Amino acid sequence: MSSESSLKKQSRSSWQITKSVWWALLIREALSRTMSDRLGWFWLFAQPVLIVIVMVSIRTVVLGRMRTISGAEFVPWLIIGLLGFQLFRETMMRSMGAVEANRQLFSYRQVMCIDPVFVRCYVEGLLATFVLLIFVFVTLLFDFSLVPHDSVMALYSWFSLWFLGVGGGLVISVSATLLPETKKIVPVLMMPLLLLSGVIFPINYLPPVYQEYFLLNPIVHGLELFRGYTFEAYQPLKEVSFYYLWLWSLSLVTLGLMLHIRFQHRLKVL
Amino acid sequence: MIRIQNLFKRYHQQKLSDWVLRDINIEIPTNVSVGLIGKNGAGKSTLLRLIGGMDMPDRGVIETDSRISWPIGLGGGFQYAMTGRQNVKFVARIHGCEKSLDEVVQQVEQFAEIGDYFDEPLRTYSSGMRARLAFGLSLAFDFDVYLSDEATAVGDRAFREKASKAFKEKVGKSSLIIVSHSEGILKDLCEAGVWLNEGQAQWYGDINDAIADYHAQTNLMLP
Repeated sequence: MSSESSLKKQSRSSWQITKSVWWALLIREALSRTMSDRLGWFWLFAQPVLIVIVMVSIRTVVLGRMRTISGAEFVPWLIIGLLGFQLFRETMMRSMGAVEANRQLFSYRQVMCIDPVFVRCYVEGLLATFVLLIFVFVTLLFDFSLVPHDSVMALYSWFSLWFLGVGGGLVISVSATLLPETKKIVPVLMMPLLLLSGVIFPINYLPPVYQEYFLLNPIVHGLELFRGYTFEAYQPLKEVSFYYLWLWSLSLVTLGLMLHIRFQHRLKVL
Repeated sequence: MIRIQNLFKRYHQQKLSDWVLRDINIEIPTNVSVGLIGKNGAGKSTLLRLIGGMDMPDRGVIETDSRISWPIGLGGGFQYAMTGRQNVKFVARIHGCEKSLDEVVQQVEQFAEIGDYFDEPLRTYSSGMRARLAFGLSLAFDFDVYLSDEATAVGDRAFREKASKAFKEKVGKSSLIIVSHSEGILKDLCEAGVWLNEGQAQWYGDINDAIADYHAQTNLMLP
């Protein structure tokens, strides 16, 4: 009986093992995120919502508001930018600690270092999408709408931004584990990145000479496309393209996978 | 059967350390329980981790046709923020066991006998309670070879009895590879022995010979 069952287990394919590891890690991640403090599940959604509300209030009440930005209301424009940026940032930043937080679980040889990174990216993408839906439904009650005019392409832009975060997360999860300095530097870079990505100040208003440099940042492409497919009248920068965005994403993902393969043993033991 | 050939291992920290294991060649036959002995830092846990597939050798190979457990030890393998039950479920899930999840959980709960602590986070456990949980957990799966890194050392008397009884029941079906400084346990559970000394491994068909040689070298006789 025991030899029979062990034979059966030995024949589990790599893919079956990976699937069961992802499932187990997903449940673990869900539990740790919701149980970490009181009303954990509530804060999971409330925190990103509050961040957006605070940012919007500061920008509109304190600094005064621009009415429209070439074809879009300012507040929806800002909300969409913030949500898109948060999707990218959270996916990447949560991946940073993924290897360290699951170190104990590498005792089981079924668990590879890359597994918790994938699972965290998935969870972050899911959470951010729920937050987006919350905003879409709640803003229906107000006088403006976040319902995209081209839902399919808007979702595709949303997915592209997430995938860029996955690429960044894969790379950064290795570098943060091998070079602990990464964990100090990357969060510092996130604030300027928010400004450089045109989340708060529209890049359209800059002279074209400078726009060229801002357009090197793939997040700008993702956000502009996302806004373009959400607001019908909005005119995104002409130069933005999915091609450039995906070139970055795929390069980062490839680099991240290569780093994970190259350093998998060192990551596990460290 | 576990065949270790020309195995070299060292650690890559800030600078390269000296070889921890240097050219190890041993073959552990099926269903033979082995005790690993040697002084602190001799590489016993390292060898166990290599056999368990947690770490990779720098050179050489480890071949096996057996199902080998993870190294059951005091530290690794548990999430300290999660409860005992959640940890057990996690391990059951990644092993994709043919028993149902509830069956595994029930079996571990019964074996560990830690009462209400089973639903408390691992960080509240004493080391003995952790050992109980770790042992119960590994026994819930049908491995051919169980790796144990001092896991029995912190258990109380009743638990040690229970653990050795559980393993004796598995004789014929599975075997053990134990790292321990408790010679009682080694003599009780193992037939063969491996003495790790200066990065080299010496195989003994009888654990008593291994212990005798180890003692002769250290000149330290324990009761």
